[in-house]
Amino acid sequence: MSSSIYINSKNVFLDTVNSKDYIQLDRVSTIYQALKDSIKKPLKMILLYGKPGTGKSMFLTKLYHDLSSSQIVHIYQTPILDESEFYKILAQDIFSTKYSGELNFTQFMKIVANSDISSIPVVLLDEAQLYSDALMEKIRLISDTRTIKFVITLHKTEKEDLIAKEHFQTRIWETIELENASNAELKIYIQKKLMKANCFDSANMFTTKSVNKIFKLTNGNYRDTNKLLYALFDIYSAYDTNHQLSSVGTTHVSNKLIEMSAIHTGLINA
Amino acid sequence: MLNTRDLEERWLKYKIKSYIPYATIALSSIVIIIVVSIFLNSNKVEKKTTLSPEIKVEKEVQQVKIKTILTKATEAIEKTPPTKEAIQIQKTTVEEVPKTIAIVSQGNSIKRQEASLKLSPSLDFMKKMQHSSLPYYQEESAIEQESRSQIVEEVEELEIEENTDTTVVEEEPKKITIQRRDSADDIRGIIKRFKKNNNPALSLFIAKKYYELGEYHKAYNYALITNEINSDIDASWIVSTKSLVKLNQKDMAIQTLKQYIEDSHSSSAKILLDEIISGKFR
Repeated sequence: MSSSIYINSKNVFLDTVNSKDYIQLDRVSTIYQALKDSIKKPLKMILLYGKPGTGKSMFLTKLYHDLSSSQIVHIYQTPILDESEFYKILAQDIFSTKYSGELNFTQFMKIVANSDISSIPVVLLDEAQLYSDALMEKIRLISDTRTIKFVITLHKTEKEDLIAKEHFQTRIWETIELENASNAELKIYIQKKLMKANCFDSANMFTTKSVNKIFKLTNGNYRDTNKLLYALFDIYSAYDTNHQLSSVGTTHVSNKLIEMSAIHTGLINA
Repeated sequence: MLNTRDLEERWLKYKIKSYIPYATIALSSIVIIIVVSIFLNSNKVEKKTTLSPEIKVEKEVQQVKIKTILTKATEAIEKTPPTKEAIQIQKTTVEEVPKTIAIVSQGNSIKRQEASLKLSPSLDFMKKMQHSSLPYYQEESAIEQESRSQIVEEVEELEIEENTDTTVVEEEPKKITIQRRDSADDIRGIIKRFKKNNNPALSLFIAKKYYELGEYHKAYNYALITNEINSDIDASWIVSTKSLVKLNQKDMAIQTLKQYIEDSHSSSAKILLDEIISGKFR
C-alpha cells in the first residue's frame, strides 16, 4: 500500500461537518426519518439533543440539505449571541427585510405579523446551549406565533436544564436523542466512510477485534473515533515514509498503532 | 510528520504502566499461595513432631515394662522362698508395677514415662538381694502370712503379663479387678488357671500354699509337678523336700536334696540340707 492511500484514509476522518460525509446507519436512519416526519407536523419546536460528538451537527446539516430543496429552511451552525443581530439576520433571511439600525423583539414580531409567506419556514439552530436564557425565551415566544418552526440542538446536560423550565417544556413537542454508536455500528461507520472515499484496502484492515479496541477507547463517539482514526492513518503514513510498515503489518490495524494514536490524541493518558 | 519514535516510547511506558497492576496482583497472589502453603506444611510438621515422640516414648515404656515384667517373672521363678528383706523388696516392686501401668493408662506425658523407667534400679536391687543367702526359715511363716495377699497380686499380675501378647494397655482392666480372697479360694482359682496353662510358677505357688496350710502331701505333689515342668526352680525342690520331711520321709528328702545339689549347686538347697541333717528343720 502506498503512502497516498494512508493520506487519503487520514483525510476521510477530518473532523468536518459535511452532509456529503453523512453515513447511513440503520438506527441513525430511523431517527433521521422520525425527525423529517416531525418537521411536517404542526409542531412549534423540535429538540435534538445528545452528548458531544454524537452527530447532532451532522444531523442538522443533513436535514438542511434534504429540506432546502422543498421548503424554506435556514441553518445557523454558529450561535448568534447578540439579540438584535439574531432578529436582524432572521428578518433578512426569512422575510428578506433588511434592517440597518437596532432591531428589538417588538419590531421583529411586527415583521413576522406582516409577513405573507405561505409555508412555515424552518430555522435550524445548532449549539443552542450557548444562547442566553432571555433569547431562548424570545425564541419560544416567536415559535408560539406558529410563523417560524425551530429545530434546536443542544448538549444533553443543557437540555435537562432547559426542559426543567416548565413553560419551555410545554412548547417542545418533539425531543430526539442521539447516542454514541455501538460496536457493530462503529465498524459499519468506519468501513462505509473509508469505502465512500474509495479506500477499500484501508477499510479491509478494520477487523472486529481492532474495531472493538477503538470502541473501547472512544466509547462509540463519532468525533473521538474520527480523531483517533485520523491520528492512526497519520502514524501509518509516517511508518510508510520511514519504511517501518513491515514491523507493524498491513493486513489488519495494529493494536499498538491504535494505542499510539490514542496516546497522541489524548484518549489514553500516558 | 508525526514523531513516531517519541510516540513509541510513550506507548512502551504506557504498556509497562498498564501491566503493573496485573503483575502486582499475580505476584501478591503467588506470595499469598506460598505463605499459605508454608503455613499449612508447618502445621502438619508440628503435628507430626508433637505426636511422634509420645508414640515413641510410649512404645519404649511398653517395651521396658514388658522387659521388667518378664525379668521379674523369670526371677520370681528362679528365686528361693523370700526372706524378710526380699519380701519387702517384692512389696515395693509389686506396688510399683501397677503404678507404671496406671501411669501409662492415664496419659502419655514424658515425665510419667520417666517415672516408669526409674523402676529398673529396684530390679537390680532384687538381683543383689537374691544372691545373698539369709536365715529366713524361722521367720518365713510369719512374714508369708503378712505378705500373702501381696504375693497373690504378684503372681496374678505376672500371669497376665505373660499370657498377653498385645499391648500393656489391654492388661489394665485385669489388674484393676484384682481382689483379695481367702487362701482356699486362691488355691482353687490358681489350680484352675494352672490346669489351663501349666505354668510352673502357678504350681509352685499352689505347692507353697498347701505347705503353709499344712497339707504337705498336696504340697509335695504340686512341687513334684513343678519339678517335672521345670527342674531348675530351687523353690519347688525346697518345698518338695520340706514336705517330705513333714511327711516323715526325712531320708528321702535328704537324698533328693543331695541329688539336686549335685546338679544345681544351689546354696539355699545346701542350707536346707544342713538344717535337715542337723535337725533344725523338723
